[in-house]
Amino acid sequence: MTLGSVLGGRNARHRRWQTVLSVAAIATAVALPVVLISVGGGVADHELASLRSSGYQLIVSGSGTHGISNAHNATTKIESIPGVAAAVPILSVPIDAVLGAGSYSGVLAEGVIPGSFPLTLGPTEGPLFPSVLPLGDPTDTIHWDGGSYAGPASWDVLVSTTFQQTFGVQVGNTLVLSPTVNASLGIAFNVTGVFGVPPLIGVPTGVYAVLLPLSDLQVLAHLASGPGTVVPDAADTLEVVAQAAVASNPAALAALRATIQGHFPGYTVTTLSEQAQQLEQASSLLTGFYLALSSVGLTVGVMFLALVLLRRVEGDQRSIGIRRALGVPRSRIVLGILEEGALLAALGGTFGVFAGWAIVRGLATWATSTVQLAAELAIFEPSTLVSIALGVTGLSLLASLLAARRALALDVLEALR
Amino acid sequence: MSAQGAPEVVLREVSKSYRSSTPEAVPALRSVDLTVGRGEFVSVEGPSGCGKTTLLNLLGLLDSPTQGEVLWDGRSVGLLADRERSRLRLERVGFIFQRFYLLPALTARENVELPLRTLGVRQPERRERSAELLREVGLEGREKAFPHQLSGGEEQRVAIARALANRPGLLLADEPTGELDSGNARQVLELLVKVRAERAATLVLVTHNPEVAGKAQRHLFMKDGRIADDRRDG
Repeated sequence: MTLGSVLGGRNARHRRWQTVLSVAAIATAVALPVVLISVGGGVADHELASLRSSGYQLIVSGSGTHGISNAHNATTKIESIPGVAAAVPILSVPIDAVLGAGSYSGVLAEGVIPGSFPLTLGPTEGPLFPSVLPLGDPTDTIHWDGGSYAGPASWDVLVSTTFQQTFGVQVGNTLVLSPTVNASLGIAFNVTGVFGVPPLIGVPTGVYAVLLPLSDLQVLAHLASGPGTVVPDAADTLEVVAQAAVASNPAALAALRATIQGHFPGYTVTTLSEQAQQLEQASSLLTGFYLALSSVGLTVGVMFLALVLLRRVEGDQRSIGIRRALGVPRSRIVLGILEEGALLAALGGTFGVFAGWAIVRGLATWATSTVQLAAELAIFEPSTLVSIALGVTGLSLLASLLAARRALALDVLEALR
Repeated sequence: MSAQGAPEVVLREVSKSYRSSTPEAVPALRSVDLTVGRGEFVSVEGPSGCGKTTLLNLLGLLDSPTQGEVLWDGRSVGLLADRERSRLRLERVGFIFQRFYLLPALTARENVELPLRTLGVRQPERRERSAELLREVGLEGREKAFPHQLSGGEEQRVAIARALANRPGLLLADEPTGELDSGNARQVLELLVKVRAERAATLVLVTHNPEVAGKAQRHLFMKDGRIADDRRDG
């Protein structure tokens, strides 16, 4: 039971299945965290990068779904504060596009103020949209009409390139959008343009998206005013673009934040860096959860290895006895078992990392929708992979120690009997 | 590589008993006094259970006495720490067992190389020594054979080559021909006699076979854990 004999393929030849199963168990145990952490880390990094490259600096949000009410008035009020370049309410609602008789597709609708929305876009997202959104009513005040929604709606919509390509919707076509899978509740929109889709994780309909004036979406989704409206003039957040001098001065930005907070004590005003911090914390928490989840698999894998090594020590009693009789010291026997455990762990770990990588690449190539998108964003951090490998090796050495202890307890004469 | 020559082995008032399921320990050896001189060829005979193998195990430091002393060249070695006894076994003792005890996962050459490897002999020298030893025991060309591919006689010859690998001064053979047919037994015996003579090694050989014992210069007869008779030829 020496490294040489294992490397020379002797053990593998005589106990091939034990070896294969041990390596497979450890590989499986390693592949799981590799997939979870690389994909989870990649998604978090992407979201973080996306957040950091945003064109806005402050976010006003309320509690619950569509937590901002009277969004148009709030926007006007914030824009009147010195140091604010623009405030843009954003409303996101999953709706349905009517593609034909009884045929629908889920789509994420985003309602914005067309004229100021491009100001919130960072350098990554900016080029994906037309510089001037062809949605009519740039300030979204005509249709909104002071909250009466009596003005004429533009009913213009931009569709994502993915949606356009999948369903063959062209600029100039009419597209019926409905709050539910019921065409009779739908409104016919004019498709006036397209935009690229930045990766949006965790939103199943993310790749199928439409952009339209805020008031149009509020009416479509029953989030405008009147009977049945839960949140009047609703928005999810208000993204605040500070003037350049304020944006580049943390103290000034903090003061602006405090001012806005003073005007809206019922809402939460956060800075982008705070949001990034929260995202990082959430990401760390998620990584911890992934590791905890993976530790179950790792424990099973290592227990399997321990059982195999114990079985081998039992099966090798005579060989150990012979070696001991010939003068091989106990320490050499123990070292051999530890080497064997480490070698199996290293093999399993290597296969596991490779398998994890292959699974992620496979998902990025063959999976659909969000899974594919998430897999494409996966990051294989060498430090993470090394940590996983070290963890597995450490646990495997513990497993090997169990077997080594058994070998140490063997009586030479008993073993030779 | 140390070839420290044959030790003078002395057992002084040595007893050995084993624990069993009964409350009382079972005596295997009772107050044995024995001196084996350098280069002697000693046979140990006696009925089953008389303590022959226990005597051999004590001489070769595979076992420790319950009472008494085991001395090698005047130094008490019977109760040394396991590590030191392992070292002495490795450097100075060659064991030949009735059931050969070759490692099944290793080839003939690798079996012979095992003690050399443990002693830290480098591979080129290991290769050379193992080839030389296998040639000496008549197994040239069988270096790569695994034990299951060898006959009983061949296995025992590999075991002898392995026992000689570290040039031990003390050879201990426990019924080395017990599992062999008469032809192979004769060959193995002749081989043992020859290598002992060439190396001036001490050989203590446990046997039931009078023909085998007849080759020895000194004959110990054991009974009930004691040496009942100790005769020298001529």
